[in-house]
Amino acid sequence: KMSGRRSRSRQSSGISEDQINDLIIKLQQLLPELRNSRRSDKVSASRVLQETCNYIRNLHREVDDLSERLSELLANTDTAQAALIRSLLTQ
Amino acid sequence: MASADKPINTDVPEKDVFTLHFLQSLSNLRRQNTFNSPEKTNDRVKKIKKAAYVSMARAAGGTNRLWSRALLRRAAKENSKVVRFPRRKKRVTCLRRRRSNRRDPVEEEEAERLRNLVPGGGGMETSKLMEETAHYIKCLSMQVKVMQCLVDGLAPK
Repeated sequence: KMSGRRSRSRQSSGISEDQINDLIIKLQQLLPELRNSRRSDKVSASRVLQETCNYIRNLHREVDDLSERLSELLANTDTAQAALIRSLLTQ
Repeated sequence: MASADKPINTDVPEKDVFTLHFLQSLSNLRRQNTFNSPEKTNDRVKKIKKAAYVSMARAAGGTNRLWSRALLRRAAKENSKVVRFPRRKKRVTCLRRRRSNRRDPVEEEEAERLRNLVPGGGGMETSKLMEETAHYIKCLSMQVKVMQCLVDGLAPK
């Protein structure tokens, strides 16, 4: 069961409880790990947050790896320049 | 029903916006002779990585998001550039009312971990944090796709 009925606390940020639950669902749909879970499996909010952290860490790692790859590939500028233009045109 | 909440928008721009910004960053680096000089590989990689995050923040809307503001501010600080942001009507950054007790402690613990991963997360209330996170994740995965495409395009056939 997700967060049960809580007393309406002061909305200091202007975001309601319903909107938070919507955001949790939205986050869940963005996460590859949890995206395909069936409707009947209610994923807890803290599980979503946990998977979100994992996902962000993975994405950061991918940026690291791809930066290294790009550094290698761009080191040779002659071929890189031609290839960059090529890839621009074939997006 | 009570008045409907305004839907929270976490849309991100199209992929080409990210591509364009990243390519501009890369060509700036090339103009600075980053790829030709015999400098250490690590420095080159660091510059490319920084270009990736900065161009992503710009593509995603620059100062319209808390995470991208924080990211750009941090990057500018590293360059010791004077940071000049256009005056916003709402003072978003000075409100440190973030310790929200509305959610249970387990979630708050996870939220704390999340705060360390999302730029600017430290000053955000939990609910705002989640909105920013959704946007941040979308932009990050878009940036990864762009970089992957570039790597695929540049790799020798």
